[in-house]
Amino acid sequence: MTLLTVDNLSVDFGRGAKALHAVRGLSFSVAEGETLCIVGESGCGKSMTSLAIMDLLPRIARRSVDRLTMGETDLTRAAGIRAVRGNQMAMIFQEPMTALNPAFPIGDQMTEAYIHHTGASAGVARARAIEMLAEVGIASPEKRLGQYPHQLSGGLRQRVMIAMALMTSPKLLIADEPTTALDVTIQAQILRLLRDLQKRLGIAIIFITHDLGLVSRIADRVVVMYAGTRVEEGTAAEIFDKPRHPYTRALIDCIPQPGKTERGAMLGTIPGVVPAMVGEVRGCAFRTRCAVATPLCDGAIPKRRAGSHSWVCIHETSPVEASA
Amino acid sequence: MLIYLAKRLGLSVLVALFASILAFSLLRLQGNAATALAGEGARAEDIALIIQTYGLDRPIVLQYLSWLGDVLQGDFGTSYFFRTPVAELIASKVGNTVILAMLSLAIALALSIPLGVLAAVYSGTWIDRLCATISLLGQALPSFFLALCMVMLFAIKLRWLPASGDATWRHFVLPALTLGYYITPPFMRLVRAGMIDALGNDYVRTARAKGLPASRVVLKHALRNALVPVVGLVAVQLGLLIGGSVVIESIFALDGLGYLAYQSIGYRDFPVLQAVVLLLAVVYVVLTLVADLVNAWLDPRLRVS
Repeated sequence: MTLLTVDNLSVDFGRGAKALHAVRGLSFSVAEGETLCIVGESGCGKSMTSLAIMDLLPRIARRSVDRLTMGETDLTRAAGIRAVRGNQMAMIFQEPMTALNPAFPIGDQMTEAYIHHTGASAGVARARAIEMLAEVGIASPEKRLGQYPHQLSGGLRQRVMIAMALMTSPKLLIADEPTTALDVTIQAQILRLLRDLQKRLGIAIIFITHDLGLVSRIADRVVVMYAGTRVEEGTAAEIFDKPRHPYTRALIDCIPQPGKTERGAMLGTIPGVVPAMVGEVRGCAFRTRCAVATPLCDGAIPKRRAGSHSWVCIHETSPVEASA
Repeated sequence: MLIYLAKRLGLSVLVALFASILAFSLLRLQGNAATALAGEGARAEDIALIIQTYGLDRPIVLQYLSWLGDVLQGDFGTSYFFRTPVAELIASKVGNTVILAMLSLAIALALSIPLGVLAAVYSGTWIDRLCATISLLGQALPSFFLALCMVMLFAIKLRWLPASGDATWRHFVLPALTLGYYITPPFMRLVRAGMIDALGNDYVRTARAKGLPASRVVLKHALRNALVPVVGLVAVQLGLLIGGSVVIESIFALDGLGYLAYQSIGYRDFPVLQAVVLLLAVVYVVLTLVADLVNAWLDPRLRVS
C-alpha cells in the first residue's frame, strides 16, 4: 500500500533567469512500513525535499507539486497538512542539540503536540510520554520528563526527539540526517533503535543521509539525488549490487569496505562540488564531474528502467561498471 | 540557591554603600550648601551659623560616617529647604512616582511586545514597517511635546481626563500614556530582534513540525526565549522611571520624586539628595536581582546549580 506520494515536486528560490532550483521535478513514493533512503551529497536538495513535504520550507522558497498525498489526504491543502503534520507524519532533525526548546522541560515538549492532536488529558499524555521514553531505551523516564534539554547528552536528546515524534503513532517518520551530528557509537545505537522501532511499530521511514554506508544497513529502497533531481532509484540490493548511474557508482566507491578496501589504498572521491542549478538547466547535471561524460550529455537524457530499478543516464548500462 | 542569594545580597549592600559614598562626596564637591541656603547677599555671620549648625566644617569623612550612622538607625536627617524629615518628604512623593513608573512600564510592554512580535513575524513587509513607524514616533517626539499634545487633545478638547494633579487614578492616565509611549521604542526593537532570532531557531521548526498551531509556535516557543533580554531592559528602565521624570512630573503637576530631586539640586539640599541617591541605588540593586531571578525562570540554562 502506498502511503506517501510525491509527484513532480520542485522547490525554487527566486524567479526568472536567476532562480535557484533546489529541487527539480522529483517524484517518488513510500509504501507502508518501508524504509526509503534519499541519498546524495550536501546541496543535492535532500533536506529541501523533506521540508517541502512537511510544508516547513523557508518563506522565500516556492514549492510546486502536481501531487502530494498521504493516504487519501492532500497535503497541498491547508486542512490536509494541519491534520497530518506532527500526527500521522512526524520528523526528526539533524541537530538534536538545537532542535529542542531550551526553555521548556522535556515532558512539556513531548506532550503538547499529543494533547493538541488527540485532545488527551495532561495525565494521559504524561503516561504516554513515559511509555515512549521507555520505548526508545531511556532509563528512568519519569525523571527525564522534568529535565531540560541542556541536561541531556546529544544521543539522549535525539532519543527524546524520536520518542516525541512517535507520541502520536505516526505512519511515516521523516529522519533528516538524524545521526550526522552524533559520534559513531551513538550513531550506531540510534540507527539500531530506528530499525528496531520500525520492525515493532511498522512505521515507514524516509531516511535522508549523505552516507551510503548507513543506507546499506537500513534501506529497503533508495533514491539517489543529484542537483535536485532523482538520478537513480531501486531496491537496496539493486543500488548496491548493480548501480547504473555513474554518480551512484562514484558514491559507492567512496565507502570504505572492511576486508575489501586494501590497506593503504586511496578511497574514491568525486572531484568538485554539486553545482547550483540556476536559471534554465539542460542535460545531465552530473556531466561536469562525470568520468564517462559524452558530448551528448548536455542534451535530452533518457529515463531508463529495468523492473523496479530506474535511472536517468545517456548510457544504457554503466560503462564504469563494464570496465570494473 | 541560598548561597547564591546570600552572595548577591552581600554584593548589593556593597554597591549601595559605594553609591552613597560617591554621592556624598560628589555633592559636596559641587558647591557650598551654606551659601546656597543663606541666599544671595547673606551676611557672613549667617553663613557661619549655618555651617556650624549643620556641621559642614567637619572633615568630609566624619560628616559621612555620622550621616551613615543616622541612616542605619532609620534617620535620614532633615531637609535644609523644606525643614521636614527627609524620610517623610520622600515617603510623601515616592508613591506618585512608583505608580507612574509601574503604569508607564505596563503600557510600554503592552505596546512593545505585540508590536515587536508582529514586526518579527512579518519582518520585511509593510506590517513590519508600520510597527517600526509607530514605535519610532515615540522616540522622535520629545516627551514634553507629546505630553502637551495629550493635554490638548484629551484634557482640553475632549475633556475626558484631567490635565494635571494627582488626586485620582484618572490623573495618572495621561502622564503614564506619555511616558509609556516614550519608552516603548527600545523595548519594541529588542522584542523584534529577539523574536526574529528565536523564529530562525531549530526548535521553532521542531514546534511547527509537531503540528502546533502557528500562534502557539510564536507565542510560546519563540516569545519565551525572546523575552530574556527584555527582562534586563525592564530592570534598567524601571530604575530610571523610579528615579522620576522631571519633565513629565512638572507638566502634569504630579508631585513626585523626580521633581523633588530636581528642586533639591537647586537648593543644595544635601540630606534629601543623599537619601534619593541611596534609594535609587537600592532600587537598582533589587531590580537587577529580580531580573536575574526572572531570567533564570525564563531560561533554565541560566539557573545556578
